[in-house]
Amino acid sequence: MKLLFTAILTAFIFTLASCDILDTEPETSLDSNTALTNGASAEAIMLGAYSRMQTDPYYGIEYTLNNDLAADNARYQGFFDSQLEVGSGNFPINNLWVESAWVDIYRVVNIANQLIAEVPDIEDDAFSNRDFILGEAHAVRALAYFDLLRAYGYHFDTSSPFGLPLLADPIPNNDFNQIPDLTRSSVADTYQLIFEDLNTAIPLLDGFEDNTRINYWAALALRARVNLYAGNYGDAYDDADEVIENGGFVLEEDVESLFLTTDTTDESIFDLVFTDQDQSGYFTFTFQRDEYNVDPSLTESFEEGDARAELFSNSRNSDRPLKWSDSNNANNLKVLRLGEMYLIRSEAAVFDTNDPDAGTDDLNEIRNRAGLDDIGPFATEEEYVDALLQERRAELHYEGHRFYDLVRLDRLNDVLGREDFKKVFPIPRDELQISDVLEQNPGYPSE
Amino acid sequence: MATQVRQFIFQCSILLLTLPWLSSSLFAQERERTGTVVDTNGEALVGATIYLEGNQQQGTVTNIDGEFTLSAADDDIFVVSFIGYQTVREEVGDRTNMTITLELDQQMLSDVVVVGYGIQRRSDLTGSIASVSGEEIENQPVASIDGALQGRASGVFVSTPSGTPGAGITMNIRGQTSLTASSQPLYVIDGVPIISEDLSGLFSGGQSTNSLADLNPNDIESIEILKDASATAIYGSRGANGVVLITTKRGESGQAKIGFSMYSGFQEVTNTIDMHSSQEFLRLMDDAARQDNRDLGTNYPENHVSNTWGFDPDDPDLQNTNWYDEIFRTSPINNYELNASGGTESTQYFTSLSYFDQEGAQIGTGFERISGRINLDTEINNWLDFGTSLTLNRTIQDRVINDNSLYGVVINSLAGDPLMPVFEEDGSYADPFNYFGWWMLDNPVLIGEEYKRFTRTTRGIGTIFGVAKISDNLSFRSSMNIDYTSLEDEAYTPIISRESQNANSNGFGTFGTTQDYTWLIENYLSYTNTIRDKHSINGLLGTSFQKSNRDFSSIDAQGFPSDQFLKLSVASQVTSASTSGTSWGLASYYFRGNYTYDERYLFTFTGRLDGSSRFGDNFQYGFFPSASFAWNLANESFMENQSIFSELKPRVSYGVTGNQEGIGNFASRGLFGVSDYRSTPSLVPTQLSNADLSWESTKQFDVGVEVGLFDSRVNVSADYFIKNTEDLLLNRLIPGISGFSSVTDNIGEVENKGFEFSVNGAVVSRSDFSWTSSFNISFIRNTVKKLEVNNQVLNDSHILTEGEPIGTFNLIDQEGVDPQTGNMQWVDLNEDGVIDSGDKRIVGNAEPDFFGGFGNTFNYKGFDLNMLFQFTVGNDVFNHSRASYENLGWNRLDPSGAGFMLPDGNNHALADKRWMEPGDETDIPRASLSNKNWREYSSRWLEDGSYLRLKTLTLGYNFTPDITRRLGMSSLRVYAQGQNLLTFTDYTGLDPEVNQNARNPLVAGSDFGTMPQVRTISFGINLEF
Repeated sequence: MKLLFTAILTAFIFTLASCDILDTEPETSLDSNTALTNGASAEAIMLGAYSRMQTDPYYGIEYTLNNDLAADNARYQGFFDSQLEVGSGNFPINNLWVESAWVDIYRVVNIANQLIAEVPDIEDDAFSNRDFILGEAHAVRALAYFDLLRAYGYHFDTSSPFGLPLLADPIPNNDFNQIPDLTRSSVADTYQLIFEDLNTAIPLLDGFEDNTRINYWAALALRARVNLYAGNYGDAYDDADEVIENGGFVLEEDVESLFLTTDTTDESIFDLVFTDQDQSGYFTFTFQRDEYNVDPSLTESFEEGDARAELFSNSRNSDRPLKWSDSNNANNLKVLRLGEMYLIRSEAAVFDTNDPDAGTDDLNEIRNRAGLDDIGPFATEEEYVDALLQERRAELHYEGHRFYDLVRLDRLNDVLGREDFKKVFPIPRDELQISDVLEQNPGYPSE
Repeated sequence: MATQVRQFIFQCSILLLTLPWLSSSLFAQERERTGTVVDTNGEALVGATIYLEGNQQQGTVTNIDGEFTLSAADDDIFVVSFIGYQTVREEVGDRTNMTITLELDQQMLSDVVVVGYGIQRRSDLTGSIASVSGEEIENQPVASIDGALQGRASGVFVSTPSGTPGAGITMNIRGQTSLTASSQPLYVIDGVPIISEDLSGLFSGGQSTNSLADLNPNDIESIEILKDASATAIYGSRGANGVVLITTKRGESGQAKIGFSMYSGFQEVTNTIDMHSSQEFLRLMDDAARQDNRDLGTNYPENHVSNTWGFDPDDPDLQNTNWYDEIFRTSPINNYELNASGGTESTQYFTSLSYFDQEGAQIGTGFERISGRINLDTEINNWLDFGTSLTLNRTIQDRVINDNSLYGVVINSLAGDPLMPVFEEDGSYADPFNYFGWWMLDNPVLIGEEYKRFTRTTRGIGTIFGVAKISDNLSFRSSMNIDYTSLEDEAYTPIISRESQNANSNGFGTFGTTQDYTWLIENYLSYTNTIRDKHSINGLLGTSFQKSNRDFSSIDAQGFPSDQFLKLSVASQVTSASTSGTSWGLASYYFRGNYTYDERYLFTFTGRLDGSSRFGDNFQYGFFPSASFAWNLANESFMENQSIFSELKPRVSYGVTGNQEGIGNFASRGLFGVSDYRSTPSLVPTQLSNADLSWESTKQFDVGVEVGLFDSRVNVSADYFIKNTEDLLLNRLIPGISGFSSVTDNIGEVENKGFEFSVNGAVVSRSDFSWTSSFNISFIRNTVKKLEVNNQVLNDSHILTEGEPIGTFNLIDQEGVDPQTGNMQWVDLNEDGVIDSGDKRIVGNAEPDFFGGFGNTFNYKGFDLNMLFQFTVGNDVFNHSRASYENLGWNRLDPSGAGFMLPDGNNHALADKRWMEPGDETDIPRASLSNKNWREYSSRWLEDGSYLRLKTLTLGYNFTPDITRRLGMSSLRVYAQGQNLLTFTDYTGLDPEVNQNARNPLVAGSDFGTMPQVRTISFGINLEF
């Protein structure tokens, strides 16, 4: 009786308990191997690339504003060491942003890699936007690699060996053991991958015009910018010209309507959209905190009557940029907008023709919109570059251009008095530590 | 101790003893005998067993008056026994009525301890286990039992990181074994491993809530702390941090006892910072300008700052706000408890209901708990017993944000501007942005009073168990257990707060829930036998299956009509809402074997096989064995003729235990998570896979000795241990080109080794006066042995370095103040001419050299006096708070002198020791409007955190039986108690026992706006009917 009782109880309990104790499934995630299965999941992963662009180290704030902070548009008066270091122009190789931006931008690359590798073979008859997704993935990868190159590589010197480690395939099985240890490709090879991606993307994207994603025109506008950086001025001119003339975008009438909005504008080629539900950090870090206070030299640089000089408000003894004044952090990041295309076409015209006055009209387009009179003509290239830099600063401040502009137009030393090797940020310390082949940028320590 | 153990043995007797006489019949030729069994005080003993020698079938037990009736012949002998008492043989003779007196068995009473899945005689132990009785921690004015354990057991470092009521507490048994996983022990209540982590989702600065505060400390009978591998290996993959076994009170058969106890008291913070008055503040600011003129060649006029601000530093009528006085208060603490226990021979019960109510010593805080318990044991027949333990509790924690956060109460008070009032004349809260301090982001009184943050928990822990006696030697125990927590978070940030105004949100609120449902089924067989008197064998073989599901929800809303509301339905806009869930499971098989030869040589082997849902596919099961040996020297023949050692037992153990708490539930899997873009859901890769992921593994060697001297009047226990933890879960850095910086992997290695010593003894033991004394001390050295990447900078103040302990400070160093200039002499480590984070070096650590406690108890007639001191020596504290209130005039904005001066804020009175004139020898630099002498993360704020604290002092009086009898009670005690009455320390901050990051031991020992400990004085009364 006792034994029987015990046996029955034991059997009962074992049956009860052995069912599925060790089988648990995440309830708010998917296993990587089952995530990409059809058109709908491809679309969701494609959007995932944009949501990864929204991280703080990338377009959520730091990639954009650290650029202004590293130059003379923003000054640091806050708490965080990371911004302090960037603001002081002293870029330690373990700077938090330097470390995290590398990883975050490469995350976007990896999402694109997976889509590029797998989208063509997905079996789904209802997958009608397969070409758009594939094109978009190529263009997104181009954007990410270009942003990496501008920050970490010698983008201004196509003969330099200091390009990027180029990973163009997905990591097998999502297994960390299978991540390749890549050496840096040359700058020329890096540009080549970016151009290949864009050249593949643009025809595939023909007809895709959603300006909150990388659409046909955004891919063209991006190629204009990349061509400008790479010194292919003729191509830069053509791409910018195509966007300006045939893209259907128009300059907003005044700068307030361009910036004091949380919507896309008539000028938006590609806006990365933030909402009160999906916030950036721009307002928080410019208005609520003191990490990116406006450098007085920026406000002092405006000409009399420039409407853009009014895009600031003063609180707690410092100026704050109205470009980021939505208190819900819902201002979009204007990744590519028409205003920049005029400035690209202007610059490309001058350097392509070696005529310092060839781009004056486009400069004046932008000046007139800000309420300024025409400028020019320019007698020398020097004179033109001064005016161009001033115009780009006035127009594109707090949008992440100033530092790269000073670098590629070779004014870093003149304007900021900074050593040449600081034209680029260092390769992050963590990456050097775990790689046997990755090389540091010249001038920076390797450990 | 005595009561506790008696009850244990009693409970255990249900398991191990048979009551065969119940089924026996009587012989006809004998006479009825009646009798009473009493103790030496003449009190009736209920449930004592009486049987005829040589015929165990014929017996009975005493009733609730201690009486029995049994037939016996004149030449029979009664064998009378009762758990905890010495067994008596009584010749029957021709008596028909007799009184039999039993004496307490001292040896046996101190002899039984609870171990994993069972109990053991202390003399049979081969492992290291510390015991704390429920009596020792009863009626202490603390919210949770873990806090009451401070200073009471060697090798156990307990610290209360914050004085916030109901806040989380840190307990490290033999050091910190883990870097990223928890170093907290496993808590097992009446055999149920419980959820002991913080389940609240509310942000509160660095502090966590304490889920152990869900339990009523007065329900506890005893606590055993399992320390070495021999004791903990039976808990396998959760044993590496030690195990705390908590046993709750159970009923005894006999007359029902009704107890009522209450205490009532008040609390205040142990210390506040002596701050400058407004006049002193202004003079310091003026001095800063004057000093800058001398050192920096600036050209400020006399009284530059006070003139700029428009104040006269000699004006006695200046506004003078002492912010600490405004945020701290004297607050009440109350506890009421009613319990009843008793039972018949076959069924016993213990039931209690208690209410604990604590208002915090800081505005805006409090903790409330109502808890009920019923523990029931019943004997169904002579081979089957059933029992249940059930507790249901409700707690409400009312708290504020503190520590390193923008809108904390203490943190905003740190350098609070004394010129700023709390309220404007119109009764509204003063806004710091209208005053001169840069530091304060909002009025701390507003934050304390107007922010609402509640965490309400309802928790039930229930067990039902059955014990079947299969044969005399073999029994089977089966139990089913549930630990269920339903937690609600509710918070509201008022419209009038800066936080709400800055975000233009018109007030914002959060409501969140966490439901944790854990079930556990355990079954084990116990075997016990003694073969040929000398070979004693105990065996245990069991299984355990546990599964936990947890669901979360959270809703955020903003746009409130006014600050009178808290509920989200009145909000105009829901800004986010989410639900999620997770789960884990554990399937385990365990055994233990004890073998004792001739009460002299003792061997124990244990092992547990744990399968966990958290482990990677390649290591789903882990095995955790241990072995130990002890030698009862006192039982050797050559020890017979000495009277010094009543016990002398060297022991040694070695074993492997694990820690799986640090592994996220799905950390081994490659995952895609859900995010969104343009309000459309998107999928993003969130984690790479690691099929090799497994537990952290701790190998522990322990050698110790138990010594009993002078008939156990003095007991000494000493241990040396080496605990080596391998396969630490760390983030392995991986190439960032993968889009990830790290995966969780088993990489690191940490060592804890130490020596622990405890002694207790009866100094005086006379009938009307006794004095017992105890002392314990532990020296534990923690060393990080291996890391994935050495010299990991964890944050601005801490570093993780091989060869150094966890909690190592990495700061800009200084070599004092230059007596000529009054400036700090910073160490330019990399000699680049700039003082920045590149100049940081290791300057100290948060690990104490040693810690412990000592206590004394005096009994004189009805009076008792008990005191416990507790100490921690040799740890450094980074007094980060001081960086704000020792700013010495640093003026954040515009040092050119144009516009308004906006200094950090006020300074503490210690700033009067600053450098004033050339030749001054001091370690506080000159005042300055610049930040030349101020480095936030520098050793200027590193202080010695050693302290000695009078933790508890209790004076009680037990009324004599003749008085209590006249009052109709069985006992009556009144007492007065003090908690944290005295603290001796050189630390200049609020309290040396502090940690702004209670959740992360790697960055231990920082103080930044942390609520200090409280001092409590209470008066109590215990009645029993």
